[in-house]
Amino acid sequence: MGGRMQKLLESIAGGASSWVELRFHQRNRRRIAMRAGVLEESSSVLSVGIGVRTLVDGVFGFASTTETTAAGIRAAVAAAQAAASAAVGKKRHRVAGLADAHLARGVFPVSTNDPLDNHPLEEKLELVHRIDARLRSGSERIVSSSVGYEEVQDEKIIVTTDGASAHVFDAKPEFRVFAVAADGEDQTMGRASAGVTGGWSDLFARRSAEEMADAAIQLAVDQLSATTPTGGTSTVVLDPELVGLLSHEAIGHTVEADIVLGGAITAGKIGVHVASALVTLCDSGSTEGEPFAVGTLPVDDEGVVTRRTVIIEQGVLRSFLHNRESAAHFGVEPTGNARAFTYGDDPIIRMRNTYVERGETPVEELIGDVKQGFLLRGLGFGGQADSNGEFMFGVREGYVIRNGKVGELVRGATVSGNAFDVLRSVDAVGNDFTWDNSSGYCGKGQPAKVAAGGPHLRCRATIGGRQT
Amino acid sequence: MNTHERRKDVELLDRCRQTVRCIERLGADTAEVYGEYTRSMSSTVEKHDLQISRSQTEASFGIRAWIGGKVGFASTNSPDRLEEACSDAVTLAKASPEDEHNRPPRPREIRPMEGIYDPCAEDFSVDLAVGEAIRMIETASALDSRVILGDAAFSADVYARAIASSRGVEASERGSLFSYYALTTAVDGEQISNFDFQFGASRTAEGIDVAPVVRRACVNALGSLGATSGESFVGDVLLTPSAVQELLVPLILFQTNARNVVRGMSRWGSSLGKSVAATHLSIVDRGRLPGGVGTAAFDREGIPHEDCMIMVEGRLESLLHNTYTSEALGVANTGHASGSSRSVPGVGPTNLEIAPGHIEREALIADTRKGILVSRYSGNVDPVSGDFSGVAKGAYLIRNGKLERPVAGTLISGNLFEALARISGISSERDSLFNLILPTIRIDQVSITGSP
Repeated sequence: MGGRMQKLLESIAGGASSWVELRFHQRNRRRIAMRAGVLEESSSVLSVGIGVRTLVDGVFGFASTTETTAAGIRAAVAAAQAAASAAVGKKRHRVAGLADAHLARGVFPVSTNDPLDNHPLEEKLELVHRIDARLRSGSERIVSSSVGYEEVQDEKIIVTTDGASAHVFDAKPEFRVFAVAADGEDQTMGRASAGVTGGWSDLFARRSAEEMADAAIQLAVDQLSATTPTGGTSTVVLDPELVGLLSHEAIGHTVEADIVLGGAITAGKIGVHVASALVTLCDSGSTEGEPFAVGTLPVDDEGVVTRRTVIIEQGVLRSFLHNRESAAHFGVEPTGNARAFTYGDDPIIRMRNTYVERGETPVEELIGDVKQGFLLRGLGFGGQADSNGEFMFGVREGYVIRNGKVGELVRGATVSGNAFDVLRSVDAVGNDFTWDNSSGYCGKGQPAKVAAGGPHLRCRATIGGRQT
Repeated sequence: MNTHERRKDVELLDRCRQTVRCIERLGADTAEVYGEYTRSMSSTVEKHDLQISRSQTEASFGIRAWIGGKVGFASTNSPDRLEEACSDAVTLAKASPEDEHNRPPRPREIRPMEGIYDPCAEDFSVDLAVGEAIRMIETASALDSRVILGDAAFSADVYARAIASSRGVEASERGSLFSYYALTTAVDGEQISNFDFQFGASRTAEGIDVAPVVRRACVNALGSLGATSGESFVGDVLLTPSAVQELLVPLILFQTNARNVVRGMSRWGSSLGKSVAATHLSIVDRGRLPGGVGTAAFDREGIPHEDCMIMVEGRLESLLHNTYTSEALGVANTGHASGSSRSVPGVGPTNLEIAPGHIEREALIADTRKGILVSRYSGNVDPVSGDFSGVAKGAYLIRNGKLERPVAGTLISGNLFEALARISGISSERDSLFNLILPTIRIDQVSITGSP
């Protein structure tokens, strides 16, 4: 199937009257969801289709179709060209061109020793069932629970008239657990999850499903006796998940070249000190520092071979994230950040694996030097950042630090501030590194699987809580 | 005019019926097939310029197979591979545990819904979509040079949906929806405002009116320029419709979703007939609201839509149910099965309205001694515990009944169950946001933390 489709796309691209990018995309998604002992979902979803993007007189047009025959694809090319032509002469700034890039050719398989298809449905159902039972029997305080397993397997063929012809495979499984504890009317939640690019055993390489369940139970139960923190600015130690989140949500989006052109705070600041010299922040199509990062992709959806992009080097802003159009605009090389979620989406600038590079300070020292502050771990509910760098994240677990010692758990905390101010305030970077739990999606009109991570780091930020 | 397109609902229903028989042949006791077809013409805007135009069509099918109390779900968008999906659904059902509440929906009489389909939508070309996008750019450009229309889109969709089952559920309808949004920021020297987002929609080509939506987004972004640090105090918070959507609606939808009652996660499961909010608050879901974005004759399981009173003067009257939750809780199905053909039916609202109050928004502000007006809320809403904490975006300090100045970096926090009981005013004006119709709501005694 793959070889024949690739030849067909190459032949259609070869005969096109304008620049054309053809993307065949087949996605198989399987999902198992169990809540409170009830199997809520066991599903299999197939999406297959072709997305066509074209550039006519400096204007992009896009069409998508589920007709994967030669006639169907040719009709989609014509529809994309008609869509582009509709705006020719009306677009103020024509696309000047597409930057030259290292365009991919060949086959790009999933890197794993334990493919998902080697594990039958029954095994996956049994795991979900077993973990659900463990959650509900973990504590008498647990009143509800849920367990979810999802796997997404993609096969793409990306062909462009200027030379890309890549056959790319991808597999991203994820596992999530969720527990609700109650004390009278008061209810609290605990969560744990994992998501990777890879196979079945890769998903549980860092933590077993049982360990995730136990962590969720403990967090839900412990929060019942936790108090809400007092609001104010404080010294905080952020864990790798929150460092990743800050890197992705509050910094990363402001350096996506389309957002930069839309009026982000980073515009015109290449070469400017925007963070503490201790901070080096990158985005990469490869998994760096720790294996199986969920945002890993060898080739982006414009057919560009991905690479590691240093966004901030020792505090200095060095690069934005580009597709071929924005790279041409800024006169730089494309960074391989063009991604489309399905065949029905056109590629836009997205992050992949975004992280702060590890530093030199042992984590115990990061905490040990804090007289009064908080250790914050993981994303709670909600999180958003504006293109001016202002952000707010719900915190999953907050602990008070007093005289260098980690104390009691607080609940319902948020951390906020301006991301660049927070990064300027960094006075120590940990020598550890992990990717986040990577079980969610980043949204920007269309979803994308991304990883974020880094070491622990210490900075100043505003903690939200009750005003007393 | 394309007569082929106009027959899509009938074609889909035929295909659903045939597929039901296929699933039965593969060994299911009962089968249900839900089909959808969409044709979409759209044009997007980035930074005051046309970005890309799109022309897209898709048909997809969601298949449920029951074997006793076991159920499996599969979906495909490839008509050539429908049989493969049927086989998947049966395999998944066989491998699943029994659940006595897994019963197929029973057929009910469905009244066709008028006013959701405009034949003009069939001829709405990508050129016309581009024209509307240009109108959005021109509106923003004419208003103020400090505004950036960062992101905007216009989309014209024609759709058909159909459902058939072994139990005799059969329904189909077609519709049209023209929708548009504008996301703006304002830049003045070094100052960058918070972004503002506004949305508009119409079921008919004649009802398309993009300019007011763009103007509102521009004015709001401009208003938050020059925001300075706020103050910390306990005071009144006035939530605009957007902030109500971001803060109160998630809790209300979570707590009234009967799925969450079955799951043991909603404390409102045992509150029917009881007071859960201040008497100012009344909420209704209207599946047959004329012109509503969420309006349809039937839900994702082929159950007819009717008005559903959720809350009357603070007293909880009804939860939202699909077939599963009504079976599990032994109550009537309210016809709120939600979702697309790509997913198992969930539970969700159609057009959710919060009833208007008796006081104008300006009077509500004038009646506030000290507080903040919150245009958007960005933060944490824990729908189980009700705890919330987040940033007030596009916020203004209110002092002695007047909007004193815009404030930035201000956090609001507390518990939403307590907040619902402390609602002290609801505006008579309301805005439509997607499928929500919401007023401005004032909540007393909220913890407000200004940045230093």
